[in-house]
Amino acid sequence: MTTTTRILTVDDSASMRALLNHALTTNGFEVAQADDGVAALEWLAVNEVDVVITDINMPRLDGFGLIEQVRGGTRHRDRPILVLTTESSDEKKDRARRAGATGWIVKPFDTEKLVAAVRRVSH
Amino acid sequence: MTPEEIQQIFFVECEESLAAAEAGLAACQTGTQDGDTINGVFRAVHSIKGGAGAFGYTALQAYTHTFETLLSDVREGTVDLGDALIGLLLRALDTLSDHVEAAREGGDAPADAALIAEMEAAQAGGSGAVPATAEPEPAVTAAPSEPAGQSDGEGGDDLDLDLDSLLDDISGGFSAPQAEAEAEAEKPWQVHVRPHAGAMRNGSEPLLMLRDLADLGGTCVRCDVGAVPALDGFDPGQGYLGWTFAMPASVEADTVRDIFDFVGKDCTIAIGEDEGIPPVEIEPAAAPAPAPAPVAKPGVEAAQKPAEPAAQKPAEPAAPAAAAAPNAPPAAVAAGQSIRIDLFKLDRLIDLVGELVIAQAMLVQRLDGAGITATEELGLLENLTRDIQESAMSIRAQPISSVFSRVPRILRDLASTTGKHVKLEVIGESTELDKTVIERLGEPLTHLIRNAVDHGIESAEDRIAAGKNPEGTLTLSAEHRSGRILISIADDGAGINRERVLAKAIEKGIVSAENQLTAEEIDNLIFAPGFSTAQTISSVSGRGVGMDVVRQNVKDLGGRITIDSTPGEGTTFILTLPLTLAISDGMIVNVGEQTLVVPLAHVLESLRPAEGDVKGLGSSRHMLNVRGKFIPVLSLREALGSPSGATSPEEGVLIVVDTEAAGQAALLVDDIQDQRQFVIKSLSTNYRSVDGVAGATILGDGRVALIVDVDGLVACALPAHERQAA
Repeated sequence: MTTTTRILTVDDSASMRALLNHALTTNGFEVAQADDGVAALEWLAVNEVDVVITDINMPRLDGFGLIEQVRGGTRHRDRPILVLTTESSDEKKDRARRAGATGWIVKPFDTEKLVAAVRRVSH
Repeated sequence: MTPEEIQQIFFVECEESLAAAEAGLAACQTGTQDGDTINGVFRAVHSIKGGAGAFGYTALQAYTHTFETLLSDVREGTVDLGDALIGLLLRALDTLSDHVEAAREGGDAPADAALIAEMEAAQAGGSGAVPATAEPEPAVTAAPSEPAGQSDGEGGDDLDLDLDSLLDDISGGFSAPQAEAEAEAEKPWQVHVRPHAGAMRNGSEPLLMLRDLADLGGTCVRCDVGAVPALDGFDPGQGYLGWTFAMPASVEADTVRDIFDFVGKDCTIAIGEDEGIPPVEIEPAAAPAPAPAPVAKPGVEAAQKPAEPAAQKPAEPAAPAAAAAPNAPPAAVAAGQSIRIDLFKLDRLIDLVGELVIAQAMLVQRLDGAGITATEELGLLENLTRDIQESAMSIRAQPISSVFSRVPRILRDLASTTGKHVKLEVIGESTELDKTVIERLGEPLTHLIRNAVDHGIESAEDRIAAGKNPEGTLTLSAEHRSGRILISIADDGAGINRERVLAKAIEKGIVSAENQLTAEEIDNLIFAPGFSTAQTISSVSGRGVGMDVVRQNVKDLGGRITIDSTPGEGTTFILTLPLTLAISDGMIVNVGEQTLVVPLAHVLESLRPAEGDVKGLGSSRHMLNVRGKFIPVLSLREALGSPSGATSPEEGVLIVVDTEAAGQAALLVDDIQDQRQFVIKSLSTNYRSVDGVAGATILGDGRVALIVDVDGLVACALPAHERQAA
């Protein structure tokens, strides 16, 4: 791929968004940020994206809801969605899988592995 | 953005989270215990935990983990949220706040062992034995010892943070038995892969996983195409293909399992020579539909399926928003569109708006000089300038709830040290004022509250004896009034004991015994430097900081503080503050050739002295008689060293000012030019600091005028014995 990979990060924590932004932009990705599921959907309605990285626990619309809506829509239904959360229970993972998540990364994240995960799902 | 800046964001966020949790628990206390409120508290603590992990604050992370686990139990309903538990959660929140503080200041983490034990007991007590929802969390225990993950390669990653290897990898730490893999370590081994329809539907592109296998050194040795149908029966969403890969002996079976972990049952894998590629599962053959979405038939229905959640979902966002009502202001802000702006940029805007105000005034003055006045366009420009100014100011404005929200904690701390339980009532917490004012308001407010509980509100026994509710009430209120903000702190305590205050003031030499003081003047004695009425210095308000410091803090903000006390009924402190610090009201005065600005916050009145009002004192000094009280006269001309200007009080105008350290004084000026708003420019950053000068401003005609530092000027110009204590 010659074009830059565009990533939407969804997290209600500004510091987490800033960390992600730093980790991803320094690795050559183009990063957009949304602070919850609703904001993410609004952004996605008018923008193109290659990978979505979302938190689970967020106000208004949580990560599960966001994934379901993205999968249920038409524009971005095939985009890989990575879940980035502090949760690690099998039950939560299963729920994310059912909602249609592509991958699961546990916070705090390791930049190298995060980047590898993003590269992997974005071809 | 540097890592330090990101860290700063984290701490700002922690404050927000703590306030949200506090508000949520307060709502729980008053009976609002719905899922969204509890979830809000959970999320707040969860968010701090997430950041703590990312920034390597292990003590904070470990503590929040326990806290979060308990909250999770509450959320899941396995633990009942009674008064005792809410009390525990509030205490846990206080300690969390201390933890955050310790992380920010780099201090020692607070002692939390007892609290952690209590929280763990609360979990176990509620759910029987083992907390049902406790998650395996290697992160917390593993964190402390691990060094920061050194990122090799990828370059440019200079993030100096402990983003260590707590990562569970994309696969999520789903460990499977690996006995067989270890047994045959030398020769290549086989893995068979069969993705099913679900894998395609949920975006788990099987190709990516196959590439991963290849990346690990795997070679595709067989592809099963047996199930591929004729083209007209072909459904791209189905999994028709299966593969066998030969993996090098060096690759562990777990590594391969990890790759497929997250797709779960949507992709069957088998390991071992004899296993073979798992059979194809074509839906809708009523396959043991493991897939979540009961993905039924291919074709039309499969396409419709995802639409379902979309149709149901929209109702959901509305619910949390409505339920978050208890902490209305933050919720309203969160729900609105908001962006974070660098404060520096914002201040630059405010600065520019200030310049605009000046430029506009200059234009008016110039046109006026040219005989052009009161044109419609000028009026329009003036209105627009004012609107822009107000909008810019409102950007910096924040609701005062960010200060008020800290009060419950203060009261809890006080309850444990003084034994006085005080009920809090808050009015007007959504009132907005400048961020800087808010930031600097915390300290004086805290002191006033401590003072109210410690000295104002009586002990429960005394209250009962006085026929009052044993529980005292503290009422905080905030409101806008004519361009300023009024904050009152009212207690329903015993009121100021004026006899004792007066006796103390005389004893301390603050006033002389002969003075006849009004009740108001006696009340104000508590602001005198070095005054303290506590019979015994208590650990609460006797911290070496007196009420004089409170008054100074308020003064520094361009505000005033007044007392209204009724014996037996209580005391109210009223703070009047400007809405912003960037622009102030001032009196423009002339002294000789100079134009000066006297901040209006200090000005009590201005007068032309009648004959006989001014008495000489020695050869050069004068005292002004203001309704029977003598105050020293200070000539600004002398203070400036100006060669011209009014030399005796009868020639000019006297401005009576109130100062902190030196009481009242009368400033002698030639005349008063105007009273208007001015934009404060720092003298020390542009030139150097000058005693008696608070800063400078630019007047409408473009000239620079110095702003008088009333406190400093009076204090240094008048010998101590001539001063009058306020």
